[in-house]
Amino acid sequence: MPTPPVASVPALALTGLVKRFGQKTAVDGIDLVVPTGSFYGLVGPNGAGKTTTLSMATGLLRPDAGTASVHGVDVWADPVAAKRMIGNLADGVRLFDRLTGEQLITYTGMLFSLPREEVAVRTADLLRLMDLGEAAGTPVADYSAGMTKKVALACALVHAPRLLVLDEPFESVDPVSAANIEDVLRSYTGSGGTVIVSSHSMDLVQRMCDHVAIVSAGRVLVAGTVDEVRAGATLQDRFLELVGGRTRSEGPAWLRQS
Amino acid sequence: MVATVLRLRYRILGNMLARSPWQLVGFVFGAMGAAGALAFAAFALVLIGASGLEAVRGVVTVGGALLVVGWCIAPLVAGGVDTTVGPEQLAPFPLTTRQVMLALAVVGLAGIPGIATSLGALSALLAWGRWPIALALAVVCLPLGVLTCVVASRTVASFSRRSGGRIGNAMALLAFTALVLAGPIVTGLLGVVSGGTGPASAERLAAVVEGVSWTPVGAVWGVPGELAAGRVGTGLLKLGIGLATLAALWLLWRRNVRAASVTPPRRVVAGRRGRLGWFGLAPTGAVGASWARATRYWLTDPRYLRNLLIVALLPALVAFAFGGRVEGTPFAFVVVLPALLLGLVPYADVSYDGTAFASVLATGIRGRADRAGRLLGAATAAVPLLVIVAVVTVGLSGRWELLPAVLGCALGAELAGLGICAVSSAHLVIPVPAAGDNIFKRVPGQSFWVGIALMGFTLLAAALVSPALVLAVLAALQGSALWSWLALAAGLVVGAGVAAAGVAIGGRAFDRTGPELLARIRTTSGY
Repeated sequence: MPTPPVASVPALALTGLVKRFGQKTAVDGIDLVVPTGSFYGLVGPNGAGKTTTLSMATGLLRPDAGTASVHGVDVWADPVAAKRMIGNLADGVRLFDRLTGEQLITYTGMLFSLPREEVAVRTADLLRLMDLGEAAGTPVADYSAGMTKKVALACALVHAPRLLVLDEPFESVDPVSAANIEDVLRSYTGSGGTVIVSSHSMDLVQRMCDHVAIVSAGRVLVAGTVDEVRAGATLQDRFLELVGGRTRSEGPAWLRQS
Repeated sequence: MVATVLRLRYRILGNMLARSPWQLVGFVFGAMGAAGALAFAAFALVLIGASGLEAVRGVVTVGGALLVVGWCIAPLVAGGVDTTVGPEQLAPFPLTTRQVMLALAVVGLAGIPGIATSLGALSALLAWGRWPIALALAVVCLPLGVLTCVVASRTVASFSRRSGGRIGNAMALLAFTALVLAGPIVTGLLGVVSGGTGPASAERLAAVVEGVSWTPVGAVWGVPGELAAGRVGTGLLKLGIGLATLAALWLLWRRNVRAASVTPPRRVVAGRRGRLGWFGLAPTGAVGASWARATRYWLTDPRYLRNLLIVALLPALVAFAFGGRVEGTPFAFVVVLPALLLGLVPYADVSYDGTAFASVLATGIRGRADRAGRLLGAATAAVPLLVIVAVVTVGLSGRWELLPAVLGCALGAELAGLGICAVSSAHLVIPVPAAGDNIFKRVPGQSFWVGIALMGFTLLAAALVSPALVLAVLAALQGSALWSWLALAAGLVVGAGVAAAGVAIGGRAFDRTGPELLARIRTTSGY
């Protein structure tokens, strides 16, 4: 079989990923191809397996079956090489929150062996971008939820990865910072970087992403470009139609105020 | 309303016990221990009642004062009395501050310690039985005393939870130091009191009782005895002190409850920028970054800091056990055992990262670099401390020629321990308190086999460093400087060798086990 040309190697390719926790199958055979340079949205109801999938894709959780590869490098065969290319914002994990914001970003830069001057420049840029200048010297333990999210995002960006994996990046982030971050991510994908983002906000995904996959109960229901997936309707309507479980009611009588 | 909160408290306790059989066992043992102590106290109080008014007054006063002090310390060292239901949790409900405090006080009374204290106080009635006046007053004063216990404990807890637990942890470390040194302090005090001849010591004992009965923690307990002895004025004065104490505690507590219900427990102080600390000193790269992070945690996180504190305090305890006679060879080697134990502290180091370990794993760090960084961080914190303690203790022992041998044994044991930990922490995950939690918080699920493994590591470290130990013993016996220096060389060579081997072996293991470590952290600690 001839090797495919470099340009066609996807930034992230998942094939047949499976993960079980005891009796429960969290991810039940997920296939996904994230083209290089795309802004890929991953949406699904709570418990659909989004976080589990992204953990397996970034080398944090060993899959029971299936493979994940980043720019052609198998994440589980050569984790060191694959992880060098990934910037990862994981959801539901702590940070080393005794460090100040500035120290945490510096620390992450050092872990990737960036030269010291480069670390300083990038840390300053990221603090400005995330509007964390005021809180740079405050321990991350004292940050609000949104600030913590932003400093984690800064850590994911500091080594200029080729693939950004962002799990719920805009949760509790203020609108101004969110807009700034959105601009940065857009210019990042414009320059050839790839972003895969999981989110519960359909409006945000429809606006920002060019590709989207809807997952439910550990399976991909539909995947493709945003226009293909929504097929004329809004992404919100299409999502509700595919996932189901929507109840149309006015709510309980006792809640009504008149 | 109070009943609802109380039901909530019992429901939480029930759910917790149902979830983990070991906690149920612990709970049953706790309850049985409390019942046993109660029976003993009641029996003793009846006996003392027969031996005169002064004896009863002394025992009830001192015992009561100790109870109050105990209730104050408990929230610091036991991870909070009933932190499951606190003012923060009740804040969203439409309750007045007074109702919240009332509910929390009742919850405090209705737990096992509260019930035990109440029953214990009731049994003091038996002791007062022979003096009707005292009995009548005890009916008022003993409940006041019990209430003081509960409110004092709540007040201390409300202070310790401010500022995101940091003040609490500082207080906890202080309380811990006091507890470690409690033996020497108490014995010292007793020595002062009972030093000298028979009648003099009885007089001093009486003076101590008299002193305690004037303190805020003891006053209310002494009131019945004063009135029974006919000292009405003194009795009323002490009752006043007791009531004032209770009122002051209530007001302080109210202030903190109000603060907790309006402001979220977060401190936002803009720190100055550009303070990189260890991150400014360490060279860039995975080893340097891990080193700086590990050092930072060792020197600022109470979960690590506590162990350094023990090393500094242990020689003081030994000196005390020696009766202050520190001259001579045995005391010169006092630093070696703490050094051995300190080296094994990070035997499951990854557990202390919590899920922040994900950010280490996500960078694709090589196992060797992670192991080396952690080992260097621990050594950066421990080695200077051990050297200082060694110099001081050897200096006190007066056997300066043994200093190289002692340093060899201590540093060799520390480094060998760290080398073992570099391997073991690539395999073991144990439940530990989360960063910022109370360091004395009991974390369920500590396994029996992990304890056995730790014992094995200790023996292994001792065996590895035994060449230095043997040379050091020879040096001590023969008083020869040559053996002493040889012991230093042997210790350093063994220590460095084991550390390097540990980094290499542990690094290879870590490359394989990293994702499994994270998965186990998620299931064992869940934070």
